Order: sequence, then structure tokens, then C-alpha cells
Amino acid sequence: MNLFLVLRKHGRLADKRNPMYEKSRFAKFWIYLMTAFWAGYLIFFGTMLAFAMQDEATEPYHILNSGLMFVLVLDFVTRMPFQKTPTQEVKPYILLPVKRRRLIDCLLLRSGLDLYNLFWFFFFVPFAVITVTRFYGVAGVITYLSGIWLLMLVNNYWYLLCRTLMGQRFWWLLLPVGVYGAIAAVMFIPDNSPVFGFSTDVGEGYIQGNPLTFAGTLAVIACFYLTARHVIGRMVYNEINKVEDTTVQVKSLSEYRFLERYGQVGEYMKLELKLLLRNKICRRAIYSAGGVVIMFSVLIAFTDTYQGGMKSFLVMYNFVLFGILFLSTIMGYEGNYIDGLMSRKESIYALLQAKYTIYTCGQIIPLLLMIPAIVMGKVTLLTCLSWFFFIPGFVYFCMFQMAVYNNKTVDMNNTMTQRNMGTGMQNLISLAAFGLPLILLYTLQALFDESTVAVIFIFIGIAFIATSRLWLRNVYHRFMKRRYRNMEGFRDSRQK
Amino acid sequence: MIQITDLQKRFGSKVAVDIKNYTIHQGDMLGLVGNNGAGKTTLFRLILDLLKADRGNVTIDDIDVSRSEEWKSYTGAFIDDGFLIDYLTPEEYFHFIGKMYGLKKEEVDERLLPFERFMNGEVLGQKKFIRNFSMGNKQKVGIISAMLHHPQLLILDEPFNFLDPSSQSIIKHLLKKYNEEHRATVIISSHNLNHTVDVCPRIALLENGVIIRDIKNEHNSAEKELEDYFNIRVEEETAGEAPEETGQTPMQETQETTEQTD
Repeated sequence: MNLFLVLRKHGRLADKRNPMYEKSRFAKFWIYLMTAFWAGYLIFFGTMLAFAMQDEATEPYHILNSGLMFVLVLDFVTRMPFQKTPTQEVKPYILLPVKRRRLIDCLLLRSGLDLYNLFWFFFFVPFAVITVTRFYGVAGVITYLSGIWLLMLVNNYWYLLCRTLMGQRFWWLLLPVGVYGAIAAVMFIPDNSPVFGFSTDVGEGYIQGNPLTFAGTLAVIACFYLTARHVIGRMVYNEINKVEDTTVQVKSLSEYRFLERYGQVGEYMKLELKLLLRNKICRRAIYSAGGVVIMFSVLIAFTDTYQGGMKSFLVMYNFVLFGILFLSTIMGYEGNYIDGLMSRKESIYALLQAKYTIYTCGQIIPLLLMIPAIVMGKVTLLTCLSWFFFIPGFVYFCMFQMAVYNNKTVDMNNTMTQRNMGTGMQNLISLAAFGLPLILLYTLQALFDESTVAVIFIFIGIAFIATSRLWLRNVYHRFMKRRYRNMEGFRDSRQK
Repeated sequence: MIQITDLQKRFGSKVAVDIKNYTIHQGDMLGLVGNNGAGKTTLFRLILDLLKADRGNVTIDDIDVSRSEEWKSYTGAFIDDGFLIDYLTPEEYFHFIGKMYGLKKEEVDERLLPFERFMNGEVLGQKKFIRNFSMGNKQKVGIISAMLHHPQLLILDEPFNFLDPSSQSIIKHLLKKYNEEHRATVIISSHNLNHTVDVCPRIALLENGVIIRDIKNEHNSAEKELEDYFNIRVEEETAGEAPEETGQTPMQETQETTEQTD
């Protein structure tokens, strides 16, 4: 039996037979729609670019080839939500009479042959057909596309290497950030950067079928493949045991005793804080979102990069980001221990109250971060206060409705090799959480002056905050009505 | 205490639980036995309202479990590690559970004392999150947390699983004592017939979701009946194969077979 074919079959079955995939018609439809949309978009963009560049002094493919690095960075980023690393998949086969190296080789090979590596062809094929055929004919197109595919393979193994390392220590994120940062520095700091020329030569080499260019690319692939293979081989034990070095022995434990005075809700608030700070996925989300919010706050306060509508959007973004990250999957983390919660009286109601309190209080952080912008006169205090009240009021009210419908467990400690993609409904709600407040803002701004709009927002926000107990109770009752369906969903999607 | 009436649960075409009428009285200590897939865990989930019944209902002290949550305040249960909040340390988890039932920290600490031997110095003070404990120690945390608030109804699914022989012996003793001292209703399921017979004065035998026998077990009198039942099952499955001379009692042989099929 061919191990490679067996693993390929298992990989397909794993996706196809995932209980959540089976259940969610909407998610399936969403995936197909998005794939079709992006494919169409890339074809359109490839064609448009080819025609737009035809009047330039240099050939269109020269211009495109000089910027291949940007395509690779984009490809690296888009792999994040979709691609697994082999370390996670090794587990079921580890005790079978198959050499571990061979197993990893097969999984790496499978990843290399994945159709995802051809996705950029939607862009490159129309572009090459229009531009490359002029001087190099069909042969030129074929060799060019082969070269592009090889470049995607380079990216594939480079990504797997980074992702595997990041799975062990999040700080390995600095590796791709550092590498891309260094490349960007070399590209943009000197007046005549050699990177653009090198990139053009590589593309030209592919078009001309230069054996040296292909050999060089293959050597880079081999280099990344072997490194990834070595690293994955070493990391397999950690993945199998699901043990994170830092959590085996806890150095210090925060008790958050000050919350004890709030009784049962206070206990759930403590639990929520521990959930956020003791689990890999949540910690990472906090750090990343924190970084983004700080960056935007600094940009708004000390530069004039963003003006008008964009500035309004970013101010709102700062206030809404944490809520979207954690509330679109509300109850998803609790899915890991939902049976324990459900066997205790009204625990879900107390949990919802605790969550609401924590995330509402959390709004103080973006408010504090906006102080420099207020002091610098870039944003008014009234605008900041309007978001400070409106987001936990109206937006959180909308997001807490997801507690009734979410029934997919989010693995709290996946090592970035598993996928924690939101359902279609979650993505839609997240999108609406951004869109609705902005639409409302722009509509009201067309009718009233800025201060009046801010006061209206504050009023709406406070109204929802003041009545939170009522609507949280309603959410709880609706959750209880759907509890069997939700519990089944949580159990089915739990990673064990 | 517990009244099961016309309870039915199906998974597709398979009937997981089908019980016409069954009563468990206050202070009963009931063992639930049956082969894999007999419906033991499903029955527990139905009693605890963690699963929707297709038909019929379960009442605890005349409260329909699917219509009110009142019964939860005097019920304790542990089915699997889906009950554990694994990013807490055992101490934090016990204190959290205690708080849910209105117990102070000191009270929780005091109530943990009888479990000291059971924990064997491997649970408390380890500075580890529950997720980093062995399955056996996770099982201990789950069992203790279910008993911490002194529930009048205690439900444990396979409590002997993952435990070492000494811990199995200790938990047997603890459960018996708990049942006697608190006059609590205790329901356990187990594949370990020896332990079930040792601990439970009443044993329900489940087959394909149906309670086919309700056995009164005085001085291990159920042993013979269960032996006969499970030996028939084994014989059916190994039909045609000549039994080997092992020198073991039929109960021991049954035990090993059922454990292997786990």
C-alpha cells in the first residue's frame, strides 16, 4: 500500500467528514463563494494588470517580476488560516510500522502537491498568456508558470517551517517578521536596491527556461524542505503530548482576589481572565490585537496619515477589535467544558454577566490609548467617549446574541497547526460589527453635526449598558432553549 | 428520588436508551453495568439533562430535569473530562466549584481532607494546570469535584477508569461511606464487575438501551447472575472457539474480556 496515497486519502476524508463541515451548509456555501470570488478577482486583476502595463517602457512581466517578493509575502499571510503543518497529523500513524521520517516526508510531499500552491495561477496564467507569449510563445508561458509554481513551493515549505516553530514558541513569529522586515529594508532604504533587479532576473530566468535559475530555486526548496523536515521531526513529541513547556509548572498564579466580592459573577470573571491569559490562542489574540491597537493609536496621535472617514474607522476599530476577537466565538471556548457548566444551576447566566462586565471594563484600555490623540487634538474626547459607550452597548448587544447560536468548540491550546476558523455566521456577524456602526455614523453625520452624533451614540450605548441584565437574561433563556443542539455541537467539535 | 418514565433516545436507527419505568430511591447505591454501547453514558446524560430525550422524561425529586434547574443544586456528577476546566489548577477548580455551591474556601479545604489518601500527594500543591495531569489524576479531580458539595444525588460514569489499584480500592471505600453517611443516592457505571458487586447493593443490567435485569445484590449475590450473563455474551462472541484452561474464576475471565473490549 502506498503510504503517500493513503495519507492523501485520509487528509481529504478528514476535511470531508468533519462533523461541523457536514452540518454547516452555510459554511460550505461560504467557502465555495469566497474561493470563486478570489479566483475571479485574481483573473480580473491579472488580465487588467497585463493590459495596463503594455504601454510602459519596460515589458509588463519585467515590472511584475521585480515585485514577486510582494506576491510571496501575500501568499505567506494567506496561508495562515488554511494550512496545517504535518506535526499535528503524524499522531494517528506514529505507532504503525512506518518510519517516522518517511511519514513526515509523505506529509511534506502531500503539502507540496496541494492544489492550494496553484491558486496564484488564477492571476499568473492570464497575465502570462497576454504578456509572455509576445516574445517567448507558449513555451515561455509554460516555463514561467513552472517557475512560479516552484516559488510557491519555496513559500510552502518556508511557511511550514515558520508555523511549526511558532507553534512551539510564539516568539518565532519574529523570524518571518524579521526576514520580511530585512528584505523590505534592503528594498526601500537604498536608492537603487539590488532586490528588484534580482527578482526581475529570476522571473526572466523562468521565462527563458534558464536551467541555472531552476536549479537555484530547486536548491532553495530542498533547503527549506530539509530544514522543515528536521524541525518537524524534533517537534513531533511536543505535538503528540500536547504539552507546552511553559505550562507544565506554573511559576506564579494570579488569583484576582479583588473579584471575590462580586459573588458567583465575580468567580466567573476570574475564570474569564484566567481563560484569556492562560491559553495560547487567547494570549496570542490579546498580544496581536494589543499591538495593532497601540500602533493605530500612535499613528492617529502623532501622524497625519489617516484623515476623515479612515480616521473614524480606525478609532472605532481600536474600540471594537477586542470584542470582535473574543465575542464572535462567544461560548466556543466554554464548549471545552460545557457539560460541567450545564450541570450547575444558572451557571451560564452568571458566565454571560461576567463576560459582559469584563469586556465592557476592557474598553478602558483603548480609551486610555486614545488619550495622546485627544491631547494632540486629533480626536475629540466626545468622539472617544461615544465609541467607549456605543461599542459595549449596541455592538456587544449584537455580539452576545451569538451565545445563543455558537455551537462550535474552539480549541484553546491548539499549536497553530489546527484550524480555528469561524463559522460563516460568525464571520458575517464580525463583519456587521464593523459595518453597522460605521453606516450609522455616516448616516447620522449627514444629518447632524459631529457633537450631536457623538451624544446620540453615547445615549444609545448607555441605554444598552443600563439594560444589559435584561437582555443578557433573554440571551440566557434562548440559549437554554437551544441547549441540546448546542451541547451536541460542542461535543462533536471538541478536540480530544 | 429518580423516576424514569417511558424514556427513549435514538441515534439514527439505533435505540440508545429505551426504559419504560424505573425508580431509584433516595439512599440507593446503584451500579449500572452493560457492554460497550449498552447505553450507560447516554442514560447518565439524559438524567443530567445533557441530552434531549426523544420520548419520556426523568424526574429528580418530582422535578422534570428538562423543565427546571432546581435539582442541580443537590446533584453532583462526573462523566468525562468535558466536565473539567483544564486551565485551572486542581485547587482553583475545587474552590471555583465550591463557590458555585456557596462554599467558602476554608470549607472546601476542609472537605478535601477526607480525599487526602485518594489524592496520594499527586493532586494538590503541584502548581500544574489540570490539562497537564495524567488521566488518572484528572479522574480524581473530577470525582472529588462532584462530591465536594455533598450532593444528595451523585452520578459517576466509570469512576474506576484510569485509577491505579490502590486508588480504585480507596474510591470504593469512599463511595460506600459517602452513601451511608449522607444517605445520598449514588449511581455508578462500570465495566469492572468485581468493584460494582463489592460496592452496590442494587445493580441494573443494561442491554441495547433496555434495563433487562434489576438485581438485588446482598453479600455479592449478584456475582453469579452477572457472571452467567457476561459469560453467555463472551461465549456468543467466541462461538466455535474452544475455551482455554486458565485457572481463573469465570468472573476474572469476564473481567479481563470486558476490559479488553473497552
